[in-house]
Amino acid sequence: MSVRRSNMRLILWGLMLTAAVLVIPHLDVLFRLWLPDAREVIYRRDSFVSLLGNHLAIVTAAGLIATLLGVGAGIAVTRHWGKDFLPLVAQLASIGQTFPPVAVLALSVPALGFGTLPTIIALVLYGLLPIVRNTLAGLQGIDDDVMEAARGMGMSSLQRLWQVELPLSSDIILAGIRTSVTINIATAAIGSTIGAKTLGDPLIAGIVNGNGAYVIQGAIVIALLALCVDSLFERIGCALPSYDQGRI
Amino acid sequence: MIRSPSNSVLVTLMLAALLTLLAVDVATLQPNRIVAGEGYSLRAIMGLDGLLLSLLPFMFATWLAWFANARRYVVIVVILLVYWVSWPWGMSLFAQAMIEPGQQAARVGIGPGLWVLLFLLLLMVLEVQTRLGMPHLGRWLLWSAILVSVAVPFWSGVLNDLALVREYQGNADDFAAALQYHTLLVGAVVVISLTLAVAMALAMRSHDGLKRSVFAILSVIQTIPSLALFGLLLAPLAWLSSQFPLLADLGVQGIGWAPAALALIGYSLLPMTRNTYVALDSIDPNVTEAARGMGMSRWQVFFHVRLPLALPVIVEGIRITSVQAIGLAAVAALIGAGGLGTFVFQGLGQAAMDLVLLGAVPIIVMAVLVDMALSGLAAVCRRGVANAEP
Repeated sequence: MSVRRSNMRLILWGLMLTAAVLVIPHLDVLFRLWLPDAREVIYRRDSFVSLLGNHLAIVTAAGLIATLLGVGAGIAVTRHWGKDFLPLVAQLASIGQTFPPVAVLALSVPALGFGTLPTIIALVLYGLLPIVRNTLAGLQGIDDDVMEAARGMGMSSLQRLWQVELPLSSDIILAGIRTSVTINIATAAIGSTIGAKTLGDPLIAGIVNGNGAYVIQGAIVIALLALCVDSLFERIGCALPSYDQGRI
Repeated sequence: MIRSPSNSVLVTLMLAALLTLLAVDVATLQPNRIVAGEGYSLRAIMGLDGLLLSLLPFMFATWLAWFANARRYVVIVVILLVYWVSWPWGMSLFAQAMIEPGQQAARVGIGPGLWVLLFLLLLMVLEVQTRLGMPHLGRWLLWSAILVSVAVPFWSGVLNDLALVREYQGNADDFAAALQYHTLLVGAVVVISLTLAVAMALAMRSHDGLKRSVFAILSVIQTIPSLALFGLLLAPLAWLSSQFPLLADLGVQGIGWAPAALALIGYSLLPMTRNTYVALDSIDPNVTEAARGMGMSRWQVFFHVRLPLALPVIVEGIRITSVQAIGLAAVAALIGAGGLGTFVFQGLGQAAMDLVLLGAVPIIVMAVLVDMALSGLAAVCRRGVANAEP
């Protein structure tokens, strides 16, 4: 996708998300038409702005930690000194991804209890897997000739990592982070069942109280957030060093 | 591979396991269902002598891992399996010793130390399996043995005092129904989306513009979080069921199986259609040309040439879709769609952790089993293709 189009997409979804968060609390009349008998038709236990902020904070924290750990682990097991761990880490990353995220989230409760922190830890654990997997795929996919040439130019191993390996695999690593964050936005919404304050709150409250309006409001904001973040990744992808030259 | 003298991975895992067993509680004793249990360390249960004695084979395995070779790997795997097989029986002994006959509600639980140990044991088996370069059949036998050795004590009544088993017994009928329902929902979704995907892939091959827009729409659906998609389907489905009584009679409502199935199909279409399309599109035109030249009809070419060549990639699509649908169907329990997720969310609501486990563990086992079975099938199909090529 061209830079221009991905910019447009990002701005469009961003504006719609902002509008939704700000406008929904004032749509009393509209939702009243649909549910004339309901006691309350707008979710007001928390403002959508604060829920959005919380949701984003949880996903961002989990995403940053998972990226650091995941890319770090991927680099470590592809170095000479860590390559013993490569087969196990690679297998673990691919088997772990078959675990449904909701099951991992649920299992974090017996281990860690209810609340925001257990949610973040579960998101980090699950979010690591696609990042590790893609980091490995990216680093291992680099042509041996390229590495040979870098070595021949007298680059140190650190220079090779920073100037050759990471730039060449940046698009694959980014794709892993994107998958991880997409899953985490969805899982964080379910996190409101284990006591984290997220955009899942209005949805769960709506389901429990049989209030369809709450459900729709929560669903719209979560969906827009996911699309917005996804187009942000699309845009970042355009700025990567490996974007136009393609992989060798 | 086997030549490397010391396996630092195994040694690390084993030292971690030893430390866990020394420092973290392996079992809990609960007076009833809700109250948090009291933890017991391995040392508290077995005494110092018993602790050392029970860890002796493990230390031996660690030593073997330090000086690893092919034969020693086999010994290591046997020792690991002995530990794996023996924990339920140890748990049963612990329960007999701790629970007096009159205490109906009392139960024992698996402590955090044991969970970590079991996880590490599986990682060790995985590592040894890789180092030994076991063939497919060997792996299947190994993991079947691992599964059966845990399943047998669960069914045989040895673990009747384990909290998880108690929870199961309290919900046995519901569990069977939920398991069946979960399987049915996922199965139906996979079959329907496969049919749609094949139809769309075939249509897309002749209309290029269609391809771009279909993939664009499907990837937007894939991006929307499951909970939100379920929510967005609520209003339209509720409206439909209020307008058409026939649909309402069929159980189509804003909540329940209808939005769950629709959303699951929506998510399944992207991986399924992408794989089917790629599978059909990547076939060398020369091959189909040759088949036509041999006098095969269009249908014969499709069924005897195209489909067998495309099958491995299509099966791969079915695998991705099924594993994804098993997890998403669990989320669908939130909107009243039933299935194993019901236990998870009920358990979370009641803070009954063993009920959460009763839902979450089978979901994971189901996902892993389906993944293994379908990747096995994909490998078989691929071998079929490879054999057919000159």
